[in-house]
Amino acid sequence: MVNFIVEVNSLVKQYGSLRAVDNISFELYEGEVFAFLGPNGAGKTTTVEILECLRSLTSGSAKVFGYDVTKGEDVKEIKKRIGVLPQDFSALDKLSVKENIDLIGGMYQKKLDTMEVIRLLDLEDKAKERFENLSGGLKQRVGVAAALVNDPQLIFLDEPTTGLDPKARREVWQVIENLKKLDKTVFLTTHYMEEAQLLADRIAVINKGKIAAIGSPQDLISQYGGLKTLIIRKGGKKLADTLQQKYGSTTLNHNDDVLMKADSVNEMWRALSTLTNLSLDKEIEIQTPTIEDVFLKIVGGRITEEGELK
Amino acid sequence: MIRPLVIFLAVTKNWIRSRSGLFFSIMFPVLLLLVFGAIFSGGGGGSASTLFVQNLDRNPDGTTTQLSSAFLEALNSTKTFAIKDVPADVDPKVWARDNLGPLGGNIRIVIISEGFQDDVLNGTLKVRVGISYSLLNTTYQYFAPYLNETEKMAYEQGLAQMQMYNETLPDARTSLTLAFDASDQSAAIIKNIVINVANAFNYHLIGATSVIEFNEESVTSNRYGAVDYYLPGIIAAFIMTNGIIALTSNTTEFKRRGIIKRLSITPLTKFDWIIGNVLSQTLLSLMLTAIMILVGWIVFNVQAIPDALTIIMIFLGSVMFSGFGMVLGGLVKDVEAASALGNAIAFPMMFLSGTYFPMEFMPSYLQSVARVLPLTYLSGGLRYALIYKYAEGVFTNMAVVSALAVAFIILGSVLTRWKEK
Repeated sequence: MVNFIVEVNSLVKQYGSLRAVDNISFELYEGEVFAFLGPNGAGKTTTVEILECLRSLTSGSAKVFGYDVTKGEDVKEIKKRIGVLPQDFSALDKLSVKENIDLIGGMYQKKLDTMEVIRLLDLEDKAKERFENLSGGLKQRVGVAAALVNDPQLIFLDEPTTGLDPKARREVWQVIENLKKLDKTVFLTTHYMEEAQLLADRIAVINKGKIAAIGSPQDLISQYGGLKTLIIRKGGKKLADTLQQKYGSTTLNHNDDVLMKADSVNEMWRALSTLTNLSLDKEIEIQTPTIEDVFLKIVGGRITEEGELK
Repeated sequence: MIRPLVIFLAVTKNWIRSRSGLFFSIMFPVLLLLVFGAIFSGGGGGSASTLFVQNLDRNPDGTTTQLSSAFLEALNSTKTFAIKDVPADVDPKVWARDNLGPLGGNIRIVIISEGFQDDVLNGTLKVRVGISYSLLNTTYQYFAPYLNETEKMAYEQGLAQMQMYNETLPDARTSLTLAFDASDQSAAIIKNIVINVANAFNYHLIGATSVIEFNEESVTSNRYGAVDYYLPGIIAAFIMTNGIIALTSNTTEFKRRGIIKRLSITPLTKFDWIIGNVLSQTLLSLMLTAIMILVGWIVFNVQAIPDALTIIMIFLGSVMFSGFGMVLGGLVKDVEAASALGNAIAFPMMFLSGTYFPMEFMPSYLQSVARVLPLTYLSGGLRYALIYKYAEGVFTNMAVVSALAVAFIILGSVLTRWKEK
């Protein structure tokens, strides 16, 4: 029997005339990394904050570990069992890393040893450093450490890498990979396609408060990602015409590269064999679709670095 | 009960390690106490007020007359004034303004009119003859029944001659002119000093002494200095600013940075958070009080002796203004608005609540305003507890502070948002 850690049914959150979350339903399975992927204002944080018992819901239901997020006594139980890295995490500037983690740990009856959590996040060298002196990546790691201090079964990571440089972003990804190894259930929200594809077991694409698609990255790609592309660098027009005649779906880009969409693996092999027969001395690349292609297909736009839909 | 303590420790550590927080919460009040103490304690060799004197009463050789010089000596003996002579042939107001010195100040001029000595002597003689006549007349009225007609006639003749002589004496009165600016706040004090010196001079000239002896006594067992008044006031004022300005700014800053949101996701309750902050403010207030009293003892020899009532008063004051800060923190969203609102409330309250000067100095309508300000009761209660040791006064103020503390904490709890909309 599958254990649902989170069950959301027909959830709606209305702010005046704005429907921030529009009748969404989904579940989280024990031990998975589940990603909410969407642009700013899609309803990611609102949904997560309802599950964290920080916001009220307008209608529908949301349960975490079977506890109702709207019931007072249930809320207490939920708060004991979840760990949270909020969006734009911050802590007391003049306190050290250890003192800040102690502060969050002090709120729980059952908690891990602070130094153990610090070691887990590889923060030993920074344990006595004041929070104000840390880099963005290190601050996020402190946030994750604080989220782990009560040894939660479910961890919410709300936009954990937004605003970080690529190096710091990879550090945080490594931390999330480690959480997976610890069998923690992780609810990740992000607007970075690569992050969702790399880390998540399942992704829900969310836009304008609605879930547009949900599934594993592979499922989403095979369902919405489209065809694999064979790229022959500087192949030229003649080659493009040849492949177009044989297989169709071939175009020439402005770099003189030939791009051929293959319907199946067999077609890809046949095209490669054609190229071998032509004894071409060209660079060849096979491009598989990504979550970005999925998103483009489902939502009809791309997300900028800042999280805006364009 | 552990969570409020965790919050208390964290918030307090965060504050103690903040240089600006430490400066404005502790160092600034100490500096203010030192400045106020230095200005108002009365010791330390402060300079006397400048008093310009134009003596127009001159002898034919141009020197000042004996009596006018004696009057100036009497003024000088008060050690209140640094007397500056104004030449007789100049407009004293213009001359005084030009000779005030680089730092400016208030212009106060005494002008001794021409003929001062003659008028004083004539006036004194007339007064003396008048007194003698009055005395002899009273004596005559008392003994008249025992005198024969010849004796009566001789006496009455003598009295009539004395009266005639007195009437021939000029009705001389001399005047002193004291000129000062209407905006001069010390003018009334200076005027009284000059009048007192003139009266003493009068008594001396007519050979009279005052029959009313003036004794000074303190209404309390100790004698208090100005700093004894200011010390509890400054402590109370900074308990207020720490609550209203610092706590409000901190709360909004924590809110803006999502720290309160992060804590609210844990099992921490709103009341745990409030209690932790109130405890932190109380510790801060106790530290402030201890340091201020220590400085007061060492530098100004103040009488302040903290006791249990003082500590209770400080605790209640901290609760009251923490609650006030929570109310403001709940009403405003950004740090700048919180700081502006805190300042807009704290500063008028500081000056209207008898903190830096007694409320009696204020017009009655402002005194009415002061009576509804929370700081008035904390200032008053602390003054009674710390300095005057007047328990009844402490309890009256304590009752008001307690009621306001409860009201503000309840309102602050309601307005502190622990859950997003």
